Amino acid sequence: MELFWNTIAEYNRNTWIAQCAIALAGLILVVLLFHRPTERVKRAMKYYIVLLNAWITVVYHLWFCHERPYNYATTLIWAIITAIWVYDVATGYTTFERNRKHGKLATLFMLLPLAFPAISAARGMQFPMMTSPVMPSSVALFTIGFMLAFSQRVNLFIVLFICHWALVGASKIYVYDIPEDALLACAIVPAIYIFLREYVTANVSAHSKPDPRTANILLITLSSGIGLIFAALMLHPLLQ
Amino acid sequence: MQTPNNAHNELAATVGFIARYASYLMGSGVHTSRVVRNSRRIGDALDVEVNLAVFPKSIIVSGTDTAGETFSRVVTIPACPIDFERNADLSALSWEAHDCKLTLAEIEKRYDQLCSKPRLDPMLVMILAGLANASFCRLFGGDFTAMGVVFTATLFGFFVKQKLAQRGMNHYLVFIVSAFAASLLSSMSLMLNTTSDVALATSVLYLIPGVPLINGFIDIIEGHILTGISRLTAAIMLIACIAIGLSATLMMVKSELL
Repeated sequence: MELFWNTIAEYNRNTWIAQCAIALAGLILVVLLFHRPTERVKRAMKYYIVLLNAWITVVYHLWFCHERPYNYATTLIWAIITAIWVYDVATGYTTFERNRKHGKLATLFMLLPLAFPAISAARGMQFPMMTSPVMPSSVALFTIGFMLAFSQRVNLFIVLFICHWALVGASKIYVYDIPEDALLACAIVPAIYIFLREYVTANVSAHSKPDPRTANILLITLSSGIGLIFAALMLHPLLQ
Repeated sequence: MQTPNNAHNELAATVGFIARYASYLMGSGVHTSRVVRNSRRIGDALDVEVNLAVFPKSIIVSGTDTAGETFSRVVTIPACPIDFERNADLSALSWEAHDCKLTLAEIEKRYDQLCSKPRLDPMLVMILAGLANASFCRLFGGDFTAMGVVFTATLFGFFVKQKLAQRGMNHYLVFIVSAFAASLLSSMSLMLNTTSDVALATSVLYLIPGVPLINGFIDIIEGHILTGISRLTAAIMLIACIAIGLSATLMMVKSELL
């Protein structure tokens, strides 16, 4: 646990200016996407998402977390996600069109990364040994909000990866004393339901079963199950 | 009264249908002796003696009618998705044809109806595969956290498999990439206080080609050595691909497990 927080402290100490710039750039781009969604803004946002994921891969995992055991696995996983985003941008799969169905939830999820340092400070942690808005879980949370707000078509690779990351995050809350990751676990439960429902609705076919209504019930059951797993993972160490 | 030309056309149509029926069953994961039995049963219902020579990639169907005329047909076995419900329906069709003495037109109509029944949604299959793999993890001694990791890793790996297969990528490459993706994601359990070795090992079990393995053994036991060995070889090749994908992950994260 000490190594885990030391690497975070080292990362924050050396990159806080860059992190502020990245967070500010994200904030400006999101505001522009909400109010003036021109082609240039959309293109800038696509590059921003790729750069954000590349930053987490190279700067966070590869550079500052190289002392952590098994850091190559996490680096490679984030590199794959970056590659998926590059592919997405190249093919134009995610159109970055406003999806107004979940506006409030999406805005909340996009703002929640800013709550990470606030929660750390509230539980008595001090800079640089605290969570920040440009760390893997906060970036994953921002991605969920962003995809809810600006994605008419769901890239399920990203959704499933974030679901996996949230589960790992929920499991390490007590191992590494990082309750901030509970935010991601709580956000992924409604998000996975919304994303899967939209995916099923978009890909529904007369030659497949079950029917959309049954599929919806199954998705609610699945999301509830995932919620229960997360709750159990978070509460199990406490009960022990 | 049937003219010789009519009788020939009828025999050709019957053999043609049985060839279509048998190749569909073979491609859908039915073991060879069951395909032969079902095809002969339909032949009996239509007063045609049917003989089949089954090869790994094709079937030769030969039908002889009551007048002693013989007609043969060679068909390629298609690669169909495995669907046990449909296989059972098609087997039941052969019994129905036999018991109710259905005509060829009626059998064909029922066959087309059964083949156009909706299949399970790929998303549902993916979720069920995830649950099955998580259950395997538990059976092999994995704890609660490992089960969760295996579930989400399987969802990701299975989705990769579906998408790559849709794009027409080589079957063996699909298995290597899917095994690598699922095991890589489950390797994150190494960072947690959990049964990570069980999670890693069970994350690729959804890829195990169980149907070809079982059918291969049944075929060999029942004397269809050629198709049996062919199916087992295909299954072993897929298992080797799973091993390559899993090894790639282990080389990166935990080489001592190799």
